[in-house]
Amino acid sequence: MKYMAEKLIKVKILRFNPSTNGKAYFQSYDVPVTEGVSVLDILDFIYENLDSGLAYYDHAACRHGICGGCSLVVNGKPSLACQTLILGDISVEPPKNFKVIRDLVYKRGELK
Amino acid sequence: MVVGTKAVDKVVDADVLVVGGGGAGLRAAIEASERGVRALLISKGSVARSGASLLAGADLTLDGESLHNLGFPGEPIDTKQKFFSDIVTQGFYLNNQRIVEIYVEDAPKRVKELLDWGIKVGFAEERAIFTSGSSILSALLKRAKEMDVDIMNDIMVIDLLIKDGRVSGALGLDIKTGDLITFRSKAVVLATGGWHKAYSPNAGSRELSGDGVAAAYRAGADLANMEFVTFCCNVLLWPPNWRGIIFPYLLHLLVGGKLVNSKGEDFLSKYDPTIVKIGTSMEWNKSFVSIATALEVLEGRGSPHGGVYYEVGDMAWKEFESRVTKYYPNWKYKGIDFSELGKMLKDGRPVEVGPAAEYFEGGIVVNEKFETNISGLYAAGECTASLFGANRVAAATTEMLVEGTIAGRFAADYAKKSEMPDIDKKQVDKLQEKAILPLKLKEGIKPAELLRNVQQMAYEQLGPIRDNNGLSEFVKYIEMVKKDQLPKLCTVSKSMNYNKEWIEALELENIVQLLELSAKSALMRTESRGVHYRSDYAWTDNDNWLKEIVLREDAGDLHVTKRPVIITILMPPSGVTPYMEMVKKLMEAHSEIGGHH
Repeated sequence: MKYMAEKLIKVKILRFNPSTNGKAYFQSYDVPVTEGVSVLDILDFIYENLDSGLAYYDHAACRHGICGGCSLVVNGKPSLACQTLILGDISVEPPKNFKVIRDLVYKRGELK
Repeated sequence: MVVGTKAVDKVVDADVLVVGGGGAGLRAAIEASERGVRALLISKGSVARSGASLLAGADLTLDGESLHNLGFPGEPIDTKQKFFSDIVTQGFYLNNQRIVEIYVEDAPKRVKELLDWGIKVGFAEERAIFTSGSSILSALLKRAKEMDVDIMNDIMVIDLLIKDGRVSGALGLDIKTGDLITFRSKAVVLATGGWHKAYSPNAGSRELSGDGVAAAYRAGADLANMEFVTFCCNVLLWPPNWRGIIFPYLLHLLVGGKLVNSKGEDFLSKYDPTIVKIGTSMEWNKSFVSIATALEVLEGRGSPHGGVYYEVGDMAWKEFESRVTKYYPNWKYKGIDFSELGKMLKDGRPVEVGPAAEYFEGGIVVNEKFETNISGLYAAGECTASLFGANRVAAATTEMLVEGTIAGRFAADYAKKSEMPDIDKKQVDKLQEKAILPLKLKEGIKPAELLRNVQQMAYEQLGPIRDNNGLSEFVKYIEMVKKDQLPKLCTVSKSMNYNKEWIEALELENIVQLLELSAKSALMRTESRGVHYRSDYAWTDNDNWLKEIVLREDAGDLHVTKRPVIITILMPPSGVTPYMEMVKKLMEAHSEIGGHH
């Protein structure tokens, strides 16, 4: 959804697509944010406005902090994307040790 | 995998295929397994951790006498007959009374069984026990595992497979790998819930795009009552990460508070005090307050994000907070820390709330066996029509358990006496070809853009207040989308593994189909009944409209019929009554039983 921007932040996301045999790399996006914006809202904003090729767990996200589908590593810390509020620059990665399906989507419960 | 590199031709067999990983699907799969057939459940998200059931409040409703007999205080003077009458009167008499009888009769059995399976009960009142969606689902999942139900997660149903007039399985998409999987089965139970994603804001989790209902329609199943959509009132609209969360609705219902418009007026005071009193203290308030809120917004007295403001009201803050934290310790609701909302309310900062799509009364037509008009195809839970008529006032969690059990039972019986069907290879090829179209197009329309437009238009013109102009315009718009835009949906990435644009393109097909049917039904129903409110036909017409609008696709065309409502016990009154007068009459017809139902 659209919102009035209070400021621009830098969002660094670890991208990787195993089906194209490419390597993992960080991609950086400038994202406008306002108070009360979560990491999941930021990923939505990137998908809707900047890069619709970005993969993140969204298809069955509950947004209430219960399904656990959006567990990611934000600024080095394990976090639920839907319950982590952001106002400054961030980096977002899938948890280490899990098999990555694409970008921020990984096989839950299946270690590398 | 990238399109065109390799076609996946995986076939998975089961006796009964259950589509949906929420309460109705799990309960159906348990029942089928208990009857000795092999049940396979496919879930769009993670089983028991997705779907509308997970976000349910969650209360389980049953009559107070039965609840008393289960060892809770309940309400001994309540009866099944009173509960039945209340569901039918508050449903504006559009309920299929045969199905209401089943709901009332089976509810105590299903609740007792869940208690035996270990759900945690928070508190109880006259006709309900309060637990959580996740507690119910965990108990069901544990039972399903004991019964050896096979489960596959992250599978979206694309379409049903039909051979010689009977269901022979379904085509599914493994969202994570991109594999298109052919499921072959003797019977299928659809339990895919509502189509919340057609609206913004909505109160559902993100996967609810009506995949099962739309697939059933494309396969030739009857749908009914598609014009009835419950908008939960007092849902958070702002900030972005709270949008669609019903917490203030629960606070207003359980604790109290006040709603004001942008002029600071207590706009509910314009309405009949009886309607306001009952309409804000029972499940009723969803439609009444949603209509009142939408009217403030339409007349220019709304908040910046299209709602009104929720305030503490006359209650002292200390009292208010102590009541809130009795239900929600530390302001925690599900996995969300709402202590900031508490501060906002305490400081008198604006909290924007409004109507959000929450429950779908209409859906797939079923009989008492929860069987559809297609041989071997069953449906249960929110994706079905008719139990709650034009307005749901009892729990959908009880609905999913009662209906899932019966659908699972009859699907298993059907599977036992059937041979494994053949798959129509041509149909599978055609469906696969169609499904991968957005991946093959080099340029076209972005799914996210179309979804945003559709959601906004649906909310404005097929929302809590409808009229001829808005509905006609919406029908034209949605027909244009169907014809000109859906075929042009195109993904930027061509990867099949977790491609969000591809999933959304497939979902849009379903969303647009269901919105078209809903809008056409709403346009046709020239009266107001339950959650369907027409400002240009602001009366309930029992002389002409005690009928369901039934929709069926035949050779690509929509066929519409009207089916008289099924009556077994309670005879509806005749006559034409102004809507608000009808609301008051029906509220006053409610039995003397207390509580929120």
